[in-house]
Amino acid sequence: MTWHVPEDDLRAYATGDLAPPRLWSADTHLMACERCRLALGAHADPDELAAGWARLDAELDAPRPGPVESLLTRVGVPDHTARLLAATPVLRRSWLTAMALTLLLGAIVGRQTTPLLLLLTAPLLPLVGVAASFGPALDPTYEMAVVAPVHTFRLLMVRTVAVLATTVPVALAASLAVPSFGAVTVGWLLPALALTTLGLALMPWLGTVAAPALVGFGWVAALLADQLLSSHGALFPLTSAGRLAAGGAALAAAVALAAARDRFETGRHLNPSLRFTAGRLS
Amino acid sequence: MTHPTISASGLSLSYRGTRAVDEVSLRLERGVTGLLGPNGAGKTTLLRILATATPPDRGALTLLGHDPSTVRGRLQARRELGYLPQNPGFHSGFTAFEFVDYVAILKEHTDRRARHAEVRRVLDEVGLAEVRGRRIRALSGGMRQRVALAAALVGDPGFLVLDEPTVGLDPEQRMRFRELIAAAGEGRTVLLSTHQTEDVAMLCHRVVVMDKGRVRFDGTPGELVARARGRVWASPERSPEALAGWRTGTGEFRNVGDPPAGARLLEPTLEDGYLLTLDGASEVTV
Repeated sequence: MTWHVPEDDLRAYATGDLAPPRLWSADTHLMACERCRLALGAHADPDELAAGWARLDAELDAPRPGPVESLLTRVGVPDHTARLLAATPVLRRSWLTAMALTLLLGAIVGRQTTPLLLLLTAPLLPLVGVAASFGPALDPTYEMAVVAPVHTFRLLMVRTVAVLATTVPVALAASLAVPSFGAVTVGWLLPALALTTLGLALMPWLGTVAAPALVGFGWVAALLADQLLSSHGALFPLTSAGRLAAGGAALAAAVALAAARDRFETGRHLNPSLRFTAGRLS
Repeated sequence: MTHPTISASGLSLSYRGTRAVDEVSLRLERGVTGLLGPNGAGKTTLLRILATATPPDRGALTLLGHDPSTVRGRLQARRELGYLPQNPGFHSGFTAFEFVDYVAILKEHTDRRARHAEVRRVLDEVGLAEVRGRRIRALSGGMRQRVALAAALVGDPGFLVLDEPTVGLDPEQRMRFRELIAAAGEGRTVLLSTHQTEDVAMLCHRVVVMDKGRVRFDGTPGELVARARGRVWASPERSPEALAGWRTGTGEFRNVGDPPAGARLLEPTLEDGYLLTLDGASEVTV
């Protein structure tokens, strides 16, 4: 064994002041290295050391931080939030769904001669990702989470940011791979922001499936209508007025979302019991 | 009566024309209170209201001194609340430790070491110390229920809401779970929803019977049994006067209802009192 826990880290470990991820390294190393365990004894009294070994024993069954969790912690995300993000299976599912759709989109749009399909689908990817990460229909622990003191809205926002932080760059990279559309390749970003925010803002009233579905279908219908009815060449969302409208809609939806934050705690349509056993309440 | 820790008055909730909870008033104290009722009685909806998962349409509720109709009160109540839903959802790929750790984060246990110590404590408390590293999908139904109970116990809540935790467990698992609920009821207010009158007879100092969204009985198990005194009798054939009757292992019929003159009366059970209460369908508070 060539690496050992530095003296400063051992001192901090003994007093309980060593922070992740160095704490995790020390935990793992101390389990295997007698030399470092003896060195640790010089920094702590026997009672504290015994308590420390009890804690270490508990850590043996504790979740091992994976690469994503370690990375999040290194960039400053609090370790409990990193754990919440890395350990949430529905979040992984939503990432995978969004990534798969993005790759599919990249493959299909590359063959298109107009940006319509890109504009129809790309803005919906973040919305799909967010919708797949939250709600009683998809999250088996939703009911336990709802009655936990962590505010449901905060949980939703944490997951939304996590989904957007991964899906938007990937979708953007995929759309930039289709250079023939020029500025169109980034023209879906504002609509994506507006649609995602609007979908979230409607959830307390319509539910976690119906709200994004309605927004998605509405977007597709409006865009197809624009394509059929408009006499000018450019699709409305790609015009200056369209960008302004998307920005305004995103802002209005954000205000509505902020105003509705407490409804995520009490909204009837977000309640798993009423949602699943309507007409047959038990 | 000691000071109630949970107080509900006139709770009502309707959804799409169904009145699931209808003017329910309750005062719960420390110890285990049983909530009995048939399917569709409104037990789960009432439990969800008391667990702050669903707000009532009407009525007043105080949980451990907090008013859950306000944002601040709801937050405070949730910090002192443990909830085991009827169908606790698991991420089956998690180990028992990982799942309880995940719930502990949701319960604001942010310090990693302190949280892990708490996870270990509750898993020890429910007797799962030896399997804490095992994946949930590899655990038996009884063990999964204990994992869910451990998650509900994180943070040492003052009010524990348990929704039919013994459903689907074999007799040995059920007995083990009863021990855990009895231990959890020491120093806490526990509301236990169940179909099993045996659970109530063995665990509860008080029982509430619900039917069609309303409270039909609220008293001690002894008082519920007393309602059937003089109304259970034996006969060689099923009595036409009986509301319910069945042949027992001795070959005789056990009848519940209004006995004919001269009937040989039997000692009633909690189940007899429960059946008669549901049949009476009038709201009675003892």
